[in-house]
Amino acid sequence: MRLLQIEPADEKHLRIRGLDRMLCGCLDELPRLLEQGDRPPARQRLYPDPFRSDASANEEWHRLMDSDLRHLFVTAGEIVARDLARLEPDPAQPHRKQLLLPVAHLNAWISALNQARLILGEQFAVTEAEMRREELHPEREQDVALFKIHVLGYLLQLLVEHARPR
Amino acid sequence: MAQNGIVELPATNTDVALASPWNVIVENDPINLMSYVTLVFQRVFGYPRTQAEKLMLEVHTKGRAIVWSGGREQAEMYVHQLHGYQLLARMEKVE
Repeated sequence: MRLLQIEPADEKHLRIRGLDRMLCGCLDELPRLLEQGDRPPARQRLYPDPFRSDASANEEWHRLMDSDLRHLFVTAGEIVARDLARLEPDPAQPHRKQLLLPVAHLNAWISALNQARLILGEQFAVTEAEMRREELHPEREQDVALFKIHVLGYLLQLLVEHARPR
Repeated sequence: MAQNGIVELPATNTDVALASPWNVIVENDPINLMSYVTLVFQRVFGYPRTQAEKLMLEVHTKGRAIVWSGGREQAEMYVHQLHGYQLLARMEKVE
């Protein structure tokens, strides 16, 4: 049995069940973490240059496009923060929580979880090799960040499966 | 020679310049999930899942992939959309 699961609650809602203490802890941190998307080093990752070597074209692009992107990112974070206020105990699984999520919020959740993972990745300069590491040490800051990236990625993976065109 | 009522324009490269295609390129990053990148390609370009997965794997294994080619305006729109999905996208004029 998969402890963390997402199931339709009705036509307009999904229910995320089996949210454990670790995942709830990561979700609690989400709003604060997303605020850091506007600052270096995460900012360069979330607002990348579209041209390899044309500084003036990149500058013009950012002048025109970044406010739109920022609105998209911030709105997603706000929607998720409001949804998180409705976390409640999961009646079927002791010590775990559940969350009723409007289907219309699915894209905001995917965006916010992905933003959070990217922000952590930039803050701790996470590489492909580090993402494959299996042994993590809780006393190391970068390993804690890697752990959070994986935990949030697990939930993101389930949400992506739900969002996939049928 | 110009005929009556017809203005003959000097030959220019304007049409060629406007028509020159641009590549939309997505670069690999260590964090984005493979399933997520596939989903984004399906959504942004309307690619079927098999094509989206093939491009995602090209990004993953080769470090980058040309995911679309065409006019500049459309390329800009796609790059902006891909940035909205937090992919490392950029555009390059086809030489």
